[in-house]
Parts: sequence; C-alpha cells; structure tokens
Amino acid sequence: MANHDTPRSVTPERQSVSRKLHPLVDLNLDRSWFDELQQRLSRNGPWDDWTLYQLAMEAEQAQIVESFEELQCLRSLPGLEPMPHQIGTAGKVLHEMGGRAILADEVGLGKTIEAGLVLKEYMVRGLVKRALILVPASLVLQWVRELNQKFGIAAVAQKKEHTWGYDVVVASIDTAKREPHRERVLGTDYDMIIIDEAHKLKNKKTTNYQFATQLRKKYCLLLTATPIQNDLDELFNLITLLKPGQLGGQSEFAANFVVDKRLPKNEDQLQEALSTVMIRNRRGDGGIHFTKRFVKNVPLKLSPEEQALYDAVTGFVRERYDESGGDMNSMLSLVTLQREVCSSRDAVFLTLVNLFKKTAEDSPLRPKIWELVEVIRGIKANTKAKKALELVKEMNEKVIIFTEYRATQEYLLQFFRSHGMEAVPYRGGMNRGKKDWMMDLFRGRAQVLIATEAGGEGINLQFCHHMINFDLPWNPMRVEQRIGRVHRLGQTEDVRIYNLCTLGTIEEHIVNLLHEKINLFELVIGELDHILEKFDKGDSIEQQLARALLASGGNEAELQRQLKELGSSINELRSEALTGKTNRYAAGGGMPVRLDKLGETVEMGP
Amino acid sequence: MNEKQVHRYVNRYLEATGCTILEKSPAHFKVKLSPEADRELTNRPYYWSFVDRVGAEPETMSFLFVTDKVRYDREADAASAAVRPGPAAPAADSRTAAADAALARSFGFVNNSLNVPWIPREDLYFGSRRLEQIFDAVKSRGSFVHMFQEPDSRRGGNLFRSIPYTAWLGVNIKVEFACDRKREEIHSFGVSMVTGHCAERFHERLLGLKLTPRLPANIHVASNGITFAKALSIVEQTLERKLKGYDYSWAQSAAARQEDELERMNAYYKPLLEHAAEDNKQAIEEQRRQREAEIRWQYEPRVTATAINCGIFHLEGID
Repeated sequence: MANHDTPRSVTPERQSVSRKLHPLVDLNLDRSWFDELQQRLSRNGPWDDWTLYQLAMEAEQAQIVESFEELQCLRSLPGLEPMPHQIGTAGKVLHEMGGRAILADEVGLGKTIEAGLVLKEYMVRGLVKRALILVPASLVLQWVRELNQKFGIAAVAQKKEHTWGYDVVVASIDTAKREPHRERVLGTDYDMIIIDEAHKLKNKKTTNYQFATQLRKKYCLLLTATPIQNDLDELFNLITLLKPGQLGGQSEFAANFVVDKRLPKNEDQLQEALSTVMIRNRRGDGGIHFTKRFVKNVPLKLSPEEQALYDAVTGFVRERYDESGGDMNSMLSLVTLQREVCSSRDAVFLTLVNLFKKTAEDSPLRPKIWELVEVIRGIKANTKAKKALELVKEMNEKVIIFTEYRATQEYLLQFFRSHGMEAVPYRGGMNRGKKDWMMDLFRGRAQVLIATEAGGEGINLQFCHHMINFDLPWNPMRVEQRIGRVHRLGQTEDVRIYNLCTLGTIEEHIVNLLHEKINLFELVIGELDHILEKFDKGDSIEQQLARALLASGGNEAELQRQLKELGSSINELRSEALTGKTNRYAAGGGMPVRLDKLGETVEMGP
Repeated sequence: MNEKQVHRYVNRYLEATGCTILEKSPAHFKVKLSPEADRELTNRPYYWSFVDRVGAEPETMSFLFVTDKVRYDREADAASAAVRPGPAAPAADSRTAAADAALARSFGFVNNSLNVPWIPREDLYFGSRRLEQIFDAVKSRGSFVHMFQEPDSRRGGNLFRSIPYTAWLGVNIKVEFACDRKREEIHSFGVSMVTGHCAERFHERLLGLKLTPRLPANIHVASNGITFAKALSIVEQTLERKLKGYDYSWAQSAAARQEDELERMNAYYKPLLEHAAEDNKQAIEEQRRQREAEIRWQYEPRVTATAINCGIFHLEGID
C-alpha cells in the first residue's frame, strides 16, 4: 500500500480524488483500498491476519515523520556518529536550502558523510526514492560501500545497462553521458542527484557540463573542495546547475560581482547570494579539531656495499642517458632504478631482471646489467630495514610503514618476522575481503602494517598514529594521501611521521625538496590540492624531477639549483593559494578570492 | 523503536507467520522460517517458483536474528570463554580475539563443529535493512481484515439471547504534508454501518477488544443502515474537515519560495532567450521549461492521504 510521492505515478481517475483544503493546497485522497476491500467482501476473502494488521500499523507508527524539522535519519543509523558540523550542514541543506546546495567543505571534513545524511533523510521521509550519484570512476565503489555500510542505503554500482533500473545508482559521469546510458539517464526523473568532485564541471562548454544541465532532478548536491580554482565564472556555472539566476544572469553577475575575472566586487552581496546555495566548513572552524603532526627525517648512511650498488646503478643510468642523446621519455623508467636502490636490493633486483629479459640477447647492455646483479649479491644487510626495526621497537606502538615497491614490502615482511615482530601486508591488488582481514589483523595483534598503497578509503587508521616512510613517492599528492590515512578527523593523538633518508643519494634531494623546500609535511590537509592543480604545467612533478636529475648529469651544484627552482615555484603557488592576500590585485595573481570568506559556515552551538 | 520493542515486534512477526523458533533469549532468536516468511524475506523468487512448479518439499532458511547486539555479543563472548579450555585464558585480550576472529574468518572455522549447518546472522535494529524488509512484508500481508468481537463470557446469563452486533468500516490513514519538506500523521477512523456515526482513534479502540476472525455463536449483526460508498464519503469528509482546520503557513512559505525561485529562474532565462540565435532558442526554452517543472516538483505544497490498512469489524452493541 505504500504509495510513494512521485510525479510519475499515474493513478487511475477513480482510485483517487482531489479536494481543495486551502487556496494553495489540494488534498489527494487515495481510494484504491476501498475498491479492494469491496472486492474481498464480495468474494468473502481472503482476509489477512489480525496480528499482521496490528504490526503493519505499528511499523507505520514507528516510521512516522512527525515534524518538518527534526533529523529522522540519525535514529536509524546507530553505527554512525557524524561530527556536529556534518549534522549542522545536513540540517541546513534540508531546512534552508530546499535540498539544492553546493557542499564545499575543505578536504577531509567529510562531504560524503554530509551528502549521505541528506540523502538518507530524504529517503526516510519518503521524499527521495530514485537517486543518482555521479562520481569519478575511481570513486564509484567507495561511494557504493559507504552508502551501504554507513547509511544502510542499497546503492548499486552502475555496471550494465539494466543497472539503471535500481533506485539508487552510483555511476561515473563519463559512462553516464555516453549512449546507451545517456538515454536512460536523461529519460529518468531523479528525486535526487549528487555530483562528487563537481569542480570538474566548472567549464560550461564541456560535454560533462552540458550533460549535467540536461539531468532532471528534484534535489541536487554538488560536492567540491574547490568551488573556485581559477575564475569566478566557474562558480557561476556551478550555481547555474543548481539554481539558475541565483547570482543573476551572466551579464548581471559580471556587472555586479566581477572586477577582473579573478577578482570579485561587492563581496558582501556575493557572500549573501552564495550563502543560500553553498556551505563551506573549514578546518579550524569551531568544533573541527585536528591533532598536530610531527615530522622527523632520519638520515642514514648506506653501508659500503649498498653505496657501491648505488654508484654502479647511477653510473649505468648516466651512461644510458648520454647514449640516448637526451631522449627523456625512455630514460624516466631508468631513474626508477636509482630510487629502488635507496629502498631495497630486492626492488632493484626485480627491475634489473625484467630489464634483462626485455633487452635483445645480443645487446651489449646484457652483460652490464648482469654486472649490476653481481653487485647486488654483495649486499648482505639493509641499513634502512635495520633502522626501521629499531624505530618500531622504540615506539612500541602500532606503526604503518609505507613503501613504493612490492619487492621491498615482501622483504620487510620477512625481515620483521625473522626478528619476531608481527607484520601484515596491505596492497592495492588485494581483494576487499583480504584488505579487511589485514586491517583486522593490524587492529588486533600485529604491531606493524606494511603498505604499498595509500589511496582508497578502505584504510582508515585512526587507531594508529605512527608512520614510517620507508621511501618517498615523488608525487607530493601521494605523500599527502599516505599521511591522510592516519591524520584525519577522528585521530585523537598527535601524528608522528618518520622519513628514512639515505644520504648522498637522490633520496636525500627528494626529502630535502618535499620537506624543507615546500614544507609538504606541514601543509594543512587539502592545501596541496590547490597547489598542485595550479602547478599543472603539462608535466607532473615526478617527471620534472626526473628531468632535472638526468639533465644535471652528475653535476651536484646544477641539480641543487634546479631543485631549488622547482621548490620555489611550488612555494610561490602555495603562498598565493594560502589566503589570497598576496598579489590580490596583480593580474593573474592567486585566485581563491578570499575563498575562505565565501559560502556559509555552519554554526555550531554548544 | 528500542531493542526491546524490536525484539517484541520480531517475536510477534515470527509467531504470526508460523516460523519455528529454535532458540531464543531476550537478545536473539534462532529461527527456521516458515514458507510464508521465507517467501517474504529471503528474496529467492527462482527457488520458490521451482518449488511451486515441481511441488517439491520446500527447504526454508534459518537465521540468527540478533535484536540486542551489545547484549548478545557480551553473552556470546562470556559463553565461549567459559567453554574454552584453560590455557587459552589470555585470549580475553580483545586484540587477540580480533585476530582470532580474522583468522577464523579466513580459514572458515565455525565454532569447531562442522556438523552444524551455518546459520547467517542478521542484526535487527530500527533502520536495518532486514527489519525494514519485515516491515514491508507486514504491510503487504496485514492490509485487509474481517473481524468479530468475542462476546464477553462473563455475561453468562441467557445463553440463548442473541447479542446485536454492528458492522464498522475501519480504516487507518497516513496523511503526508509535503513540499520540499515533509511531515506525516496517522488518523484512524471507524464508521458505523448502522448509524453512519464516525469514530476517531478507532484503531486504539480495537486494540482494547478481543477480536476473532470467526463468527461467534449467539450474535446477530444488525442490518446496515448506510451503504459502503456512504461510509467512504463520511470518512473522507471527516478527514477533510479536520485537515481544513490546520495551519497552512508551511504551505504558504513553500509557495512563496516557489514563486521566488520561478521568478529568479525566469529572470535568468529571459535575456538568454532574447539574445539567443534562432536555432538555439528552442533548446534554451526547453531547458527553461524543465527547470520550471523541477521547481514545481520540488516546492509545490500538497497533502496526500493514503490508507495504511482497513477492515470490517463487527462489534458488540448498536451505535
């Protein structure tokens, strides 16, 4: 008998009647029950059970939504304990914004939780039945998992065309916009649409944006940590998806709020207009608390054998570079060799063997590679591993160790176990069940978790606050992801991070660059996002690093200079991004138009 | 619903559907479902269509329904600690327990007793999927009833005097007040088919009576004074009258929001349409119309009344 409120359900005329209750309100009376009752009377049954009749009434009474305001979903989510700012945000979206909003919290404050609360609340109230969640492909499964586990919402990942028939579907926008999916999606009235990473829709000329404007929806949430990256038009475009005209037409918007495309005017009015569609919570707002992070570099001297290998490999890479006449692309993979030596002999051995196999049988390279392998044989101990063990023993608490290489991970597992220390692995290739199992073991009796993968929400390690970077990724974002596993909302202890760093190697340079020059480890969570988006000069930081390294040709001073340059250009971006107070009036200056002042913050009462 | 209420509710459901309760405590049920409940809860339409076609003896599923997780886990832990032989005492340490659990999951130990078929565990709490499924099952299976009040046995006296009964049309109605937000109410009406009198809170009155689906002896049902159609319109009119007296400021503010949004939206599209190239106009107009429909869908205040369930009730007396 549950009749859901949708504009699609066409009830036959005689099954319902409409009466005027108030000049603005019609009463719609369902009569289908009466017909059915009469039919059963005329056929003398069948009749339902009296207990079930009472239970049906009790179920309705338990589920009744008595007030317009009070959040109903919390009582049905005993496993979830949202933070006050998350509850506040959900309340605001539901009660003041009519269910259409941009959720623009800074990274790490739980936009997903807020969106989940809003969705669940509407579902509990029977206002949403069909919902579509559009996210980047890499986040589909994570969303499905969170909605199911945390919110008890039966969300389904879109895989086949028929999946569109489910009530709550999570899909990637790139799939959804293509036929045959496009037709299905655009032909559906969605009670609610959620778009994650909505800043990717900022450009209204893109097919994604066009697609998003064609979706038919009642409620809509756009999630992004960076509602403005470059210019104010981006914000205008996002709001046009939600509430066209909220900031006036394009020309009025330009006239009223924009001086330069990066510089707003009448900020107070802009602020006011925005506060009805956008919520932005920030770290440091009352009630949102992060613990401190302490970073310590642990300098290590390679053993003579290890140093010999490093030198041999460096020589090998340089030779190849000289031979190639400066052709970078083929060289980038060789730089990996140098990085691997700094991690473990196992890592470099594996890569060398593969390289050997790939090289033609008569190539003069083969004997050279074999020479390197011979040098590896000389290595009996791993300096870093010894140090790591020492650190772990000293801490005597749970530690997560990150490495870039599978082979190093295997080696470390062996090494720790042979020293009577229980360690468990974690890597991207494991299936869900195994990952969960490893997490359970780590939460339980294992003191050490050795991970090669930091991405993916699967690992939330608030119970652990020690982290060792056995080696460092060259991509700062990945370093940040690693730290984000332990340093997040809900972490109650200060987080301690140790970087193992071998002196006289490229690793020393990298640690130097990341730690001292761009101060990566002290950046607030999420800040790096802004910086790296701006840094995008065609090449990733990783590539630029490798380039600098090779081009310097062993000239230490030259390498220093190049790294310094790279560091200071990132630093510049950073100081621009920080508050926007620098260069505010210079053309092309740092955007975030005091982004921090835009949007509504949720008040957190005592 | 708290744990106790859920427990009682589930208990009544299991009994009403004829399930076999294998074991129970205040915190759980171990139960073998009846065919009826299995059809409702296990989502195995293929299996059941097979059974129906072949006429095979159905093998229903068993479940461990935990209604109070905290208590159940505590008691289960205590029980397994008691069973475990001596030296494993330090296993009380929760870390070890978690690791053991993880190992057990991986290697598939089930209480070390391989003969017992595995019974899936479901935690039932308000908001859990399984309980919601039970709610849905109950709602579809508890919709229409035909009941008689059992005559008061204390009356004794004249066994041969027949007691007059009145037929009532009883209906429970859910009223939804919705715009972009929503609230709900439940109303329960009973209309005497003899006099046309309409009683409110009728369900509560029924709960105070002893009812049976069978026609009791020594009663006679007074003939109906009104038609069913008349009874229906009495219910509807009573409800309508009641609702008319409500405060509709919520609807006014929703309508105002709607107007506001429409105005703003139109202000956005108007210049756009004026300046658009001829061949583009149609697309923009279509988009404008779609946005308009969305805003109405979102804000339009409306009240809907749907029946939860209903029945014919023969009650003592004439009124």
